[in-house]
Amino acid sequence: MRRTTALRLAATAVLAGLAATACGTGSADDPANAGQTSQAAEPAAIDTGATVDVRLVLEPTSLDIASTAGAALDQILLDNIYQGLLTRDENNKIEPSLATSYDTSPDGLTYTFRLARNATFHDGTEVTAADAVWSLQQVTAKGSKNPDAAALASVKSVSASDDHTVVVTLKHRDTGFTWGLTGRAGVVFKKGTDFASLAGNENGTGPFKLSGWKRGSSITFVRNDAYRGKKAKVAKVVFHYIKDDNAANNAQQTGQTDIETAADATLLQPFSDKSKYTVLRGDTTDKFTLAFNNASGPTKDVRVRRAIRRAVDNAGLIKALGGAAKPVGGPVPATDPGYADLTAIDAYDPDSAEKLLEQAGYGSGLKLTVQIPNIYPAEIGDYLASELKQVGVQLTVRQVEFQTWLDTVYTKHDYQLSLVDHAEARDLDNFANPAYYFGYDNANVRKWYAAAQTAAGDAERDVLLKKAARQVAEDAAADWLFVNQTLTVVRSGVTGVPRNFTSNRYDLADLAVAKKK
Amino acid sequence: MTLYVVRRAALLVVSLLAASVLIFLVLRLLPGDIAQTIGGIKATPAQVAAVRHDLGLDRPLAAQYADWIGGVVTGDFGRSVLDGTSVSGQLAEKFAVTGPLAVGAVVLALAFAVPLGIVAAVRRDSRLGGAVNALGQFGIALPTLWVGLLLVVVFAVQLRWLPAQGFPVDGWAERGQALRSLVLPWLALALSEGAVLLRFVRSAVLEVLHQDWLRTARAKGHTRTGALVRHGLRNAAVPVVSVLGLQIAALVAGAVVVEQVFVLPGVGQMLITDVGNRDLDKVQGEILLLTGAVLVIGFLVDLAHRLIDPRLRSAV
Repeated sequence: MRRTTALRLAATAVLAGLAATACGTGSADDPANAGQTSQAAEPAAIDTGATVDVRLVLEPTSLDIASTAGAALDQILLDNIYQGLLTRDENNKIEPSLATSYDTSPDGLTYTFRLARNATFHDGTEVTAADAVWSLQQVTAKGSKNPDAAALASVKSVSASDDHTVVVTLKHRDTGFTWGLTGRAGVVFKKGTDFASLAGNENGTGPFKLSGWKRGSSITFVRNDAYRGKKAKVAKVVFHYIKDDNAANNAQQTGQTDIETAADATLLQPFSDKSKYTVLRGDTTDKFTLAFNNASGPTKDVRVRRAIRRAVDNAGLIKALGGAAKPVGGPVPATDPGYADLTAIDAYDPDSAEKLLEQAGYGSGLKLTVQIPNIYPAEIGDYLASELKQVGVQLTVRQVEFQTWLDTVYTKHDYQLSLVDHAEARDLDNFANPAYYFGYDNANVRKWYAAAQTAAGDAERDVLLKKAARQVAEDAAADWLFVNQTLTVVRSGVTGVPRNFTSNRYDLADLAVAKKK
Repeated sequence: MTLYVVRRAALLVVSLLAASVLIFLVLRLLPGDIAQTIGGIKATPAQVAAVRHDLGLDRPLAAQYADWIGGVVTGDFGRSVLDGTSVSGQLAEKFAVTGPLAVGAVVLALAFAVPLGIVAAVRRDSRLGGAVNALGQFGIALPTLWVGLLLVVVFAVQLRWLPAQGFPVDGWAERGQALRSLVLPWLALALSEGAVLLRFVRSAVLEVLHQDWLRTARAKGHTRTGALVRHGLRNAAVPVVSVLGLQIAALVAGAVVVEQVFVLPGVGQMLITDVGNRDLDKVQGEILLLTGAVLVIGFLVDLAHRLIDPRLRSAV
């Protein structure tokens, strides 16, 4: 009997060891330095018939980009299938797309866009100003269902002065208008498109066409050979939706995928051979935000909010998660306008946190509950609980389904603390809107933000945004734990891979595969 | 027998109706709704309310239920609110993965559970019997998730014999690739299912070995094996078939873990996604169809019992 037990134990140990090695749970040499910011140049001979398999995480819920929200739709559909008048480059700078250029009137109220000649929809018809006007009017119309309609709220009228010129007049200056056009609010559809028909279909203008969608598994794009501009360099791209990081790692290791986006920083060990793989480190606007209910409960007291910020060592959390993140200290990430390093405000200082709690009347302890959607790493909740315990706050972590979070926290504001990734770029407006679930209201912030919106230029705007962001951080309206960095594992021979903001946009224009020798 | 079949079929219809009410109501208890999924977190509350109104989600529950069940009666199980695909079409597509997955796993499980179970019972006092029995215990104790991960590590990542995850983009059109994708999931499922079956086969056969009629058969000159094969196994099959029925039903709806581990686009994965999106029109159709399938399997198990065991045929 004893012998069988011993054998069983030995066998289990061997198997467990095997699993641990091959799953790559062993950490990389120094995960904080993992990943590079440059990639190999495009090889001289490329295989234009290549198929590239890409691991993505979240599958779109629908392909109706005109009416269904979700970053997963933007990620693959914008730039590749659909195009707007303007787009964003790899560093989130605004650049031309279907409009080759545009002018702004001196008063900043009239924008004139000149459309690319002979651009066509995938059904072969030419893109005209009438299509662009109609598309923008669908977004700005009263009762518009476009989830991004607010981005064009300042638009007064849209008209076509000829077949290739679109004129937009604004109600007031709007420093966010051109940015708004780079998103889905600016997409140009064929005039008269029935949006409901786009749910599993498309008629875009981009360098790729949709070839198939296997729900629950993959979406396939093929090159649009009739594309007017620079044609795509690969024939086919298959997006594989793999949520589990281990499964994604296995797929990349065994060659089922060529590119693994959003790789787990603690699982990079199998990709250390630089002759086979490149690991890219890119920026994101994913602000992991510990939200406080500013409108009710114990966190209505600014001292409690500041105490929580001081009690949590963000650098330690980043390290625990594998190091692929940066501290931010405020609501604006480094890649957005209005950024300043605010990490000195309420920096890690558990002793003063305890004192603040005492002043707020919680010297004998405080019980709080944080609601975290179960799509985020469970370690974050555990880490927060153990940090807050040090200063006498007993934190209950409630892992909830994302829809439950939307209902209780986001819609009903029924929460004390909450943690979600605010992935959107340029979303400081959430702190200028007292009706948002943060429940944060500061008259100055609202004033500065509004003034930034109507500022005469970017420099003036940035000064105002900085002021607002600093105030928001000083009021401890939330704790911005970190801004994520995203890691992409690329098989050697594949170049032109998107590196930054990959969960918001995945532009395939430069993607290429070296020809096999 | 005919009367039995008719009564049993009537019971099935009533059960399905009761299930439909339950499914409909329980799903409505979930917080959140699809209008918020469609609108996302940038839509204004007014926009979300407008979507809700368009979809008829603000109507009384009774009216929504009547609409749905009216469609079901005419064979229309509904459509996804998100992408307009039909429930029956999507289920058929996913079943092309889950069906072969479940059936293959059960066949594989039976292939080793039945002979091993018999050996474990007949040789219960020998070393071999003990070893097989221990193997069964061990199999039950192993979590499918862990077994799945381990199989991937060994056979996909290390040896590169089989794919680590996924199902071919073109499905069964790539038959060889599709089969290869299912080998590891089959093994993972068959191991845990087979271990359970092995225990049942063993106890059923043990039970039979102690029966007077088996002793009588041996007294009439049959060898032990001969008596067991001719009279015993058929009797031992009765409880095993019941368990098998339950297991197949559980597998069709519940291969979720294995589908997750191997990233297979099957029924379980689809249900999780649809519930997450609150695409309730689709979820309720899917669950009703699955409930129907489980009830039908139960019905078939009952019929199988009657075919195996003549004593049941006279009872109505």
